[in-house]
Amino acid sequence: MLKIKNLHAYYGRIKALDNVSLHVRAGEIVCLIGANGAGKTTILNTISGLIPRAQGDIFLKEININGLPPEKVVAAGISQVPEGRQIFGPLTVLENLELGAYLRFKKKEKEPIKKDLEWVFELFPRLQERMKQIAGTLSGGEQQMLAIGRALMARPKLLLLDEPSMGLAPLVVKDIMNTVSALRDSGVTILMVEQNARASLKISDRGYVLETGRIVLQGNSEDLLNDNDVKRAYLGKDYKTFWEGRDLA
Amino acid sequence: MRFWNGDNEQMDRADLEQLQLERLQSTLNRAYKNVPFYREQFDSLGLHPSVIASVEDIARLPFTTRVDLGDNYPYGLFAVPLRDIVRISSSAGTTVKPVVVGYTKSDLKARYTLTARFLTAGGVVDTDVVQICLNPGLSNWGRALKEGAENIGASVMPMSHMSTWKQLMAMQDYRTSVLLTTPSYAMHILEAMKSMDMESHSLALKAILVVGEVLTEDSRRVLESAFHIDVTAGYGPSDVMGPGIAFECQEKKGLHVSEDHFVVEIVRPENGEPLPPGEIGEVVLTTLTARAFPLIRFRTGDLACAMEESCPCGRSLARMSQITGRTGEVLTIRGVKVHPVQIERILKGAREDTSPRFLLHLYKENYLDMVEIWLQMEDNIFSDEVKVVENTLRGLRQRIFQTLGLDVTIKLMEASTLDQYAVPTGGVIDDR
Repeated sequence: MLKIKNLHAYYGRIKALDNVSLHVRAGEIVCLIGANGAGKTTILNTISGLIPRAQGDIFLKEININGLPPEKVVAAGISQVPEGRQIFGPLTVLENLELGAYLRFKKKEKEPIKKDLEWVFELFPRLQERMKQIAGTLSGGEQQMLAIGRALMARPKLLLLDEPSMGLAPLVVKDIMNTVSALRDSGVTILMVEQNARASLKISDRGYVLETGRIVLQGNSEDLLNDNDVKRAYLGKDYKTFWEGRDLA
Repeated sequence: MRFWNGDNEQMDRADLEQLQLERLQSTLNRAYKNVPFYREQFDSLGLHPSVIASVEDIARLPFTTRVDLGDNYPYGLFAVPLRDIVRISSSAGTTVKPVVVGYTKSDLKARYTLTARFLTAGGVVDTDVVQICLNPGLSNWGRALKEGAENIGASVMPMSHMSTWKQLMAMQDYRTSVLLTTPSYAMHILEAMKSMDMESHSLALKAILVVGEVLTEDSRRVLESAFHIDVTAGYGPSDVMGPGIAFECQEKKGLHVSEDHFVVEIVRPENGEPLPPGEIGEVVLTTLTARAFPLIRFRTGDLACAMEESCPCGRSLARMSQITGRTGEVLTIRGVKVHPVQIERILKGAREDTSPRFLLHLYKENYLDMVEIWLQMEDNIFSDEVKVVENTLRGLRQRIFQTLGLDVTIKLMEASTLDQYAVPTGGVIDDR
């Protein structure tokens, strides 16, 4: 589905991504984990076309989308749920969702949009209950669901999720993760960025570990959960660098 | 069952290349970050892992040799803290220092996946009784193969130091269906059966899988027709890696490389230039999944060529030919890698600094590699008492066995006899 080769991206003169290659197969949940500033969100933003002048190849199916403006990336089938939700607070839940299908409104896809709205309400019954409510008055978890629902209204082949658990209470995190899992089961492919490494590794198929803009490890999520390096660095287990023996020779 | 890892063994080539690229880049990032040796190597050439934009770009990186392994004894090349290592395995190596390889839990898991692939490709299934007969110098491999076979679910008889006669008795009585051994030991067993008037149909063998040495087509034919079975080979350099890096399938036309775990290059031994398929050169290996002991462009000293055509077995993994020989001075004796200097060092130890003059005579006896050390007779080893001389020689033989895992005989020779061979000291007379 998505194949990234040798991606280099810059913020001004600072190198944010250094030769990143990764792939996501159809039907997978893939997560990117790493410390703050490692480049996780930069990867999502580069895919979405939000970071100009990134070098490298980003193939969606067989089409290289690197360099396309954000709206063309959405049209190609990629929707991003940004960090911190960024829903339209003064608008209603329904209006927010309809905006997610903006590109398709222009194409007069009325019937399919109505169907997708039903699908989103099926996934998130809570949103249907609060259809008329002003989005800014929703709880954190509900806002996250709305943000995901809004992205789904573009009918993406690939959904990019940026920190879906941020700022949410542990129980709500569990809810959101279950929702992400359910999304995959309904056929959406997902690339997810998470600070909460454990929660995201538990529901994902594979993961990549980023350090200072470089991928230093990849593997099945189950293996990564049990990996000592990952445990020390990202799962908060007993962080100490032991290099016994290094100087023995 | 034809495949152990069907998904990976039959992967679409484009997907496989992406996987290789991703794993290569992260391996280089880890090695550069965690192993001073690799960082210095890269820095001295003004290179950074981020210059690698394709698997072919690997040719820009420096080689790693057995000398580098010796220089970084014991833990210098480890890329994880020692506390993450769950197994340390050591082999004699080919320099002064042994080679120490570490494995994390995930490394061991990867290794038995690889050996399981090799065994599955050779026809091993969970109902088999697998007998492992390898010499002590290959005990690391004995363990890897045992784990691979256990992973498949077969009943495994691990390697042990039984005589050939006892091995045969076990093979007959325990109804062994698969024998894992070296080609020469398989031939040796066949000879032993003849001398014991033992018929091949008294055994339950269905396959022999061989490692450690080159399987010649002649030996394969002899073994297959004598036992009415399939014989397939696996490949790996015995000092640093497992036996299933590349393996034959039932087509028996070349060794499939587990490319999801290794990049194999064939280079011209003299200058390291990449060679096209069909041309014989040195096998160079790069690990893609190793956590504890990443190797970047490791020069194996084995000669082979890359093969181009796809294989009817359905594996998309590229193939290389059987090993056709060795570069340089490192010898393969009964599957064990030996450098003549290692023997020289032991001989020297017994004789106080004087460099002994010796030749290595290699020959076959009952298909087994035999090593004879022809040592020049000198005053300091010679004594009027036969007992003293015998003790000295026994001590030397023991030290060689302890260091290299090889049984040798030592013959004392007159200088004039050695002169007849126009070979410098430490030279090899290979009659195999």
